Amino acid sequence: MMKKNRTVNLTKKKDGYGINFNAMASPCEVLIQTPDKCLAELVGQYVSHEVWRIEDKYSRYDTQSVCSQINTSSGRNIAIDEETFLLLNFADQCYQLSDGLFDISSGVLRKVWTFDGVSSEYQHFPNQDDINKVLELVGWHKVIFDKQSISLPSQMQLDFGGIGKEYAVDRSILLAKQHTKRPVLVNLGGDLAVTGPRDNEQPWQVAIEPPDCSGVEHKQDMIVAIKQGALATSGDARRYLINAGIRYGHVLNAKTGWPILHAPRSITTVAPQCIQAGILATLGLLQGQQAEAFLTEQEITYWARR
Amino acid sequence: MNNLNKDIKKEVAQKVSKKINLKAALSLATGALFGTSVTTGAVGQTIEADEWQFDTAFLLYSEVDRVTAGEAIVAGTKTFSNDEVLNLKFTFDTLTGPSANGAIAQPKAQTFTRASGIGRYRTPEGETPLDDTFHDTRVQLNGQWTQPVSDNVTGSVGGHLSKEYDYLSLGLNGNLAYDFNRKNSTFSMGISYFSDTFTPEGGIPKPLSSMLVGDSNSPEWDDEFAKTRISASENKSTSDLLIGFTQVINRRMITAFNYSYSMVDGYLTDPFKVVSVLNAEGLAQDYIYENRPDSRVKQSTFMQAKYHFDDSLLNMVADVSYRYMWDDWGINSHTIDSRFIIPVGRASYIEPHIRFYQQSAADFFTPFVIEDQLPVDFVSADYRIGEMSAVTIGAKYGVALNGGNELSFRLEYYHQRPTNGGFEEPEALNGLDTTPVIDAIIAQVSYSF
Amino acid sequence: MKVNKTKVKTRMNVTLLSVCVVSLSACSSLGVEPWERDLLAKKEMALTSSPIDAALDDHIYFSKEASSGGKSFGGGGCGCN
Repeated sequence: MMKKNRTVNLTKKKDGYGINFNAMASPCEVLIQTPDKCLAELVGQYVSHEVWRIEDKYSRYDTQSVCSQINTSSGRNIAIDEETFLLLNFADQCYQLSDGLFDISSGVLRKVWTFDGVSSEYQHFPNQDDINKVLELVGWHKVIFDKQSISLPSQMQLDFGGIGKEYAVDRSILLAKQHTKRPVLVNLGGDLAVTGPRDNEQPWQVAIEPPDCSGVEHKQDMIVAIKQGALATSGDARRYLINAGIRYGHVLNAKTGWPILHAPRSITTVAPQCIQAGILATLGLLQGQQAEAFLTEQEITYWARR
Repeated sequence: MNNLNKDIKKEVAQKVSKKINLKAALSLATGALFGTSVTTGAVGQTIEADEWQFDTAFLLYSEVDRVTAGEAIVAGTKTFSNDEVLNLKFTFDTLTGPSANGAIAQPKAQTFTRASGIGRYRTPEGETPLDDTFHDTRVQLNGQWTQPVSDNVTGSVGGHLSKEYDYLSLGLNGNLAYDFNRKNSTFSMGISYFSDTFTPEGGIPKPLSSMLVGDSNSPEWDDEFAKTRISASENKSTSDLLIGFTQVINRRMITAFNYSYSMVDGYLTDPFKVVSVLNAEGLAQDYIYENRPDSRVKQSTFMQAKYHFDDSLLNMVADVSYRYMWDDWGINSHTIDSRFIIPVGRASYIEPHIRFYQQSAADFFTPFVIEDQLPVDFVSADYRIGEMSAVTIGAKYGVALNGGNELSFRLEYYHQRPTNGGFEEPEALNGLDTTPVIDAIIAQVSYSF
Repeated sequence: MKVNKTKVKTRMNVTLLSVCVVSLSACSSLGVEPWERDLLAKKEMALTSSPIDAALDDHIYFSKEASSGGKSFGGGGCGCN
């Protein structure tokens, strides 16, 4: 398990401050347009603590987390609070809307699929039997929950990774708005949102990293101007497998157990909230070849790179 | 099965089965997650509360050979945190140039007394008599307060004050609107009351009396002139009722239907207008001051539709409306108004506009009176309550500037065509233009910030 | 003659109004969900998208024609000649 580095760094920027910290295995950043250093520190503290709180609660790597409690429940009822209930609710709706493709119980499939984009080589390409065995442990419809508790068949696992970071972004924005009217941008590893435009109705300029950022060839970042709402990027920039010349992204089809084929390398979407943007980007990827058509048809603003 | 918020679940399931808007369903789900009301509107649109939004405009109206008017408006709107809105508006306008006095053209020159009673003016032969003494400056203040009264009811009250050299108008209005059907339908009802006082220079003329034409410098003039006046000022009051219904048809279309009933009482005559009294051949013998009834009841029905087209039709918004008006003076009118807002590029738009107007004459309208038709009780030769049709054609160009400001320019051409509503013209008027056309240019620049 | 014309018109309009009222029940099937208001929320789709232009135009037509109002209060307002 990673040692947690929980420090918050404050840097002065041209017309404001930036607060940096690490969470959810990503570099996190809060930008605030204010000359007030104390305010920047305050907002930085609130946001970083809220992000760490969510990480502690829903990270599957943390043995103390609610997520781990659920995943080691062996079929027993586990008590949950309102926040967890609401998140499970949301996951359920995403399951419905995606016709079962988005399923937070599909995390177990990582047992058979190991992706390591660093070497970008075939590591352990599973066979159908392996997949079928694990598929038995996948299935949101097998999860039973209500406002007080949750239970799922033994060995089934929930993974909040698909929504955790985006949820943390939205919660951070809500917190920031409670404490200041100054423009704030919260960026957790590429999933970001703003409280509103910068002064004088100016947009925030954000750079979206191209998928192939292996350091060898620095491709041009794409710059997006955002005044309102959120941006989320879903993709296989760093995690994929290549087998027989075919690239398998890490987004898995929860029904078949296989990665989605012919999906764009990355999709960035825009939505009023980060969690929405994230789901839309993921749902887009889950359409594989049809990703762009699907997103266009739904009238979603997006950028896809193949 | 999971115990969830049943309503949300049902709605989401409906969305899935109908394969409608995924964005929409997710919005609902996100709203439930954060306990906030659903975000509406596209990302990138915000209405900033606690800030004033200003709209300013300057307009120039200029008729060929006739009146020219300039009008400037400065309006401010502030939205408060509970959806309360305050709107304040200041209007300034000024008018100058000749306008028709109601008399008809003649094959000889004509002389008239100015409305003030001081001085005369001469109209060359064959021309429509125009009085050019009008220079008027007006200042107007409006205030309107709108706020939610309950969950689905919005109320609004407002006041109006307008002052010219010779005219004062005070008004109040109130309105209640009720939203239902998930705010897709709105029913509203409003009333207004205006009280106007008119104190024209030269006083109010005795209706149907002859215009005194002579040397206003002579010693007897003042007395003689005073004999033709009945008072220094007059009042009129206007009460309006407006009933409206608006309905959202679908994502691209909204419609509105209004009915209005208006009662005006008091002095409705135009004290500056006369009617030519002609002999059998058509030569003017006298000019009498017009006289209109002291009450007028107007009703109108109005309907409007707005439709937002998609890419195949330039993403334009079409706005078409029709109004039918009728009153107890015998006037009825049709107005068809249409405009199309066409986006150009990312930050500007062009808005072509065309309006058709047609009205019938008031019962007591006549372009002239033949002497043996006298006496009459109500009469007016004011072409503005006569039979006419008019067309307005123009376009507006607007561009959004940095910081959410907008600059726009509007240019229109207004063409008014009075028509002879079946009045047989006597010989002397043959070859004269008795229904002169009015052409005007309207130019406006607006800036919102 | 004048009086009869008004009566006919009033009767026609009472009918129009009652037709509208009856149609209100049909209206419950028309409309959009709150999240489908993206286009309707645009300024161009407001019934009066430019109130300043409308006020200026109303003033012109009130002064030059015999009709006024319909969309909003006709009112008194000025001694426009």
